[in-house]
Amino acid sequence: MAGLSFDNYQRNQYICAKGHAQPKATSTGTTIVGCKFNGGVVIAADTRATAGNIVADKNCEKLHRLAPRIWCAGAGTAADTEMVTQLIALNLELHGMWNDRQPRVITALTMLKQHLFKYQGHLGAYLICAGVDPTGAHLMSVQAHGSTDIGEYQSLGSGSLAAMAVLETKWKPNMTRDEAVLLCAEAIESGIWNDLGSGSNVDVCVMEVGKDAELLRNYLTPNVRAPKERSYKFPRGTTAILRESIREIVDVEETVIEFNKPEAMEVDA
Amino acid sequence: MSDPSSINGGCAVAMVGKDCIAIACDLRLGNQSLSLANNFEKVFPFGDKTFLGLTGLASDVLTLKEDFRLKHNLYKLREEREIEPETLANLVSSSLYERRFGPYFVGPIVAGLHSKTNKPFICGFDLIGCIDFAKDFIVSGTASDQLYGMCESLYEPDLEPEDLFETISQALLNAVDRDALSGWGAVVYIVTKDKVVKRVLRTRQD
Amino acid sequence: MNGISVDINHLKKGEVSLGTSIMAVTYKDGVILGADSRTTTGTYIANRVTDKLTQIHDTIYCCRSGSAADTQAVADIVKYYLQMHASQLPPGETPTTKVAASVFQEICYTNKDGLTAGIICAGYDKKNKGSVYSIPIGGSIHQQEYAIAGSGSTFIYGWCDKNYKRDMERDECITFIKTALSEAIKWDGSSGGVVRMVLLTEKGVERLIFYPDEYQA
Repeated sequence: MAGLSFDNYQRNQYICAKGHAQPKATSTGTTIVGCKFNGGVVIAADTRATAGNIVADKNCEKLHRLAPRIWCAGAGTAADTEMVTQLIALNLELHGMWNDRQPRVITALTMLKQHLFKYQGHLGAYLICAGVDPTGAHLMSVQAHGSTDIGEYQSLGSGSLAAMAVLETKWKPNMTRDEAVLLCAEAIESGIWNDLGSGSNVDVCVMEVGKDAELLRNYLTPNVRAPKERSYKFPRGTTAILRESIREIVDVEETVIEFNKPEAMEVDA
Repeated sequence: MSDPSSINGGCAVAMVGKDCIAIACDLRLGNQSLSLANNFEKVFPFGDKTFLGLTGLASDVLTLKEDFRLKHNLYKLREEREIEPETLANLVSSSLYERRFGPYFVGPIVAGLHSKTNKPFICGFDLIGCIDFAKDFIVSGTASDQLYGMCESLYEPDLEPEDLFETISQALLNAVDRDALSGWGAVVYIVTKDKVVKRVLRTRQD
Repeated sequence: MNGISVDINHLKKGEVSLGTSIMAVTYKDGVILGADSRTTTGTYIANRVTDKLTQIHDTIYCCRSGSAADTQAVADIVKYYLQMHASQLPPGETPTTKVAASVFQEICYTNKDGLTAGIICAGYDKKNKGSVYSIPIGGSIHQQEYAIAGSGSTFIYGWCDKNYKRDMERDECITFIKTALSEAIKWDGSSGGVVRMVLLTEKGVERLIFYPDEYQA
């Protein structure tokens, strides 16, 4: 039961050999960034998920919680970023309980890189991992093959070039929290406008030393759909029906009725 | 040549209404352009108010249907209660990701009401189990492109059950008419807190 | 085919690589390692301030070239082995550079089919003073007075051979490395950024950094 199953692998290779193409998995053609500031670190992501050239999800969550104060932004194959993140979050929780300590960012990063290296790049997870722990604020990135980078600011995903352009021009040392949030949001917006794989809204997560992480879901919503001027509501009875079957859901309640209940005992007399 | 998930054809769609959900699918089973059956339902109940839609390669649809029936029965025995839609969604997700490097060629969708609170829930998946949580609608199958178009234009929030039925039915009907691999009948389930209505729609048969 | 050939030019698709200029040179007081700071994915510079000089033990470092993922994983394993080894040594003793280099060699050789890693291991220990070991792709090991490696090194083989002197003074050796790497960076497209150096001597570790406007002057 535990671990991955390769049962269907041969069958699928056979199907592929017959000339069928492999179906596309949801990928987060993405813009994700991270940036350190005085006393903390902030990460941000867009919210578009794509499958080929179809927008599969207009407001998906790409910021994942590894631990209460360690968060990571994911790009690449959506299922891989989600699952790898859940697995490491689980192991960090256990690790933290076993050692009776708050998990560290470097521990999360090491777990991620060793897991991804084991799979030799077949897990398409590109992550920006950030957080605060007793040793301070940290910002790092992991590539699918298991290599890691450390920096004051990072960007990853298909929109990373657009985002990096903003970071490289506007980043400065010793920023305040608000400056860093603004910079990250602007870098993501650059990805949203200039990269076709990125779009919709900006999610931000701020982690300050000694404070709980703060997730700012849909921090910016620059792509709100204009409300429809008219309704497409159909009159009831528009659709022709052949058959109808109704299943009533009834609650079954049990009431215990006692027989031959003895008389209450007389206390006095 | 086509990919395995579009050999047999078929599609499914789910929508959220006011204190209700709807889930629908077409009935076609084919082999490439040759239609084989017009009674191939792709939506399966898991408990009273939770439904799973499975599109894609028909053999995998049937295999997974039975797999999830088994897992659902084991869940009921262990927990002595019905599975919640959120729980089923996570079960589907982890079951699919277990086959990360040899996936089933399916596009599942889950729709249901919470057994106690009756809060509507819908979500969709890709073939390796990435969950797509949506507040409005979820589509899947060979007509998914067409369904996206229909749903984006027809859908509006907080529809009453009867209005939601019309909206999801028209979305499905008009989408499958523009997909050669879908159609040949359709069924719609409307789920409210005290009633599940299943309706078979009258559709084109070409 | 001779059956033992390895495709040294392959990198897994989309892999992050250290198209690199790295070197390590022994001198009078010990050894100096030098490296550029560019990491690339295809033509994109994934990191322009990379630290390719990785600590393995107190005064043992390595320069990494090839796949970033592979070399980081190998360096992490060697670092772990050396911690275990050091804990078994009598008090006051530290692992020798040769031991570290041998562990690198062992891992690189046994996994030669799966690794793209060219490593220079250099360090200072009381017995041997400064020493340099080169472990190129394939997993062989070569002790040298100085070693150069990475894609940028091809441009400076001749210059280094002509200008290297035994037992150089500190400043002379720093200039030697700085000049060599600045040429490598100039001619090699996949090398660039800053020049980083690590000096390993009896006194311990000293880090230096040189910015383009300085070393290009």
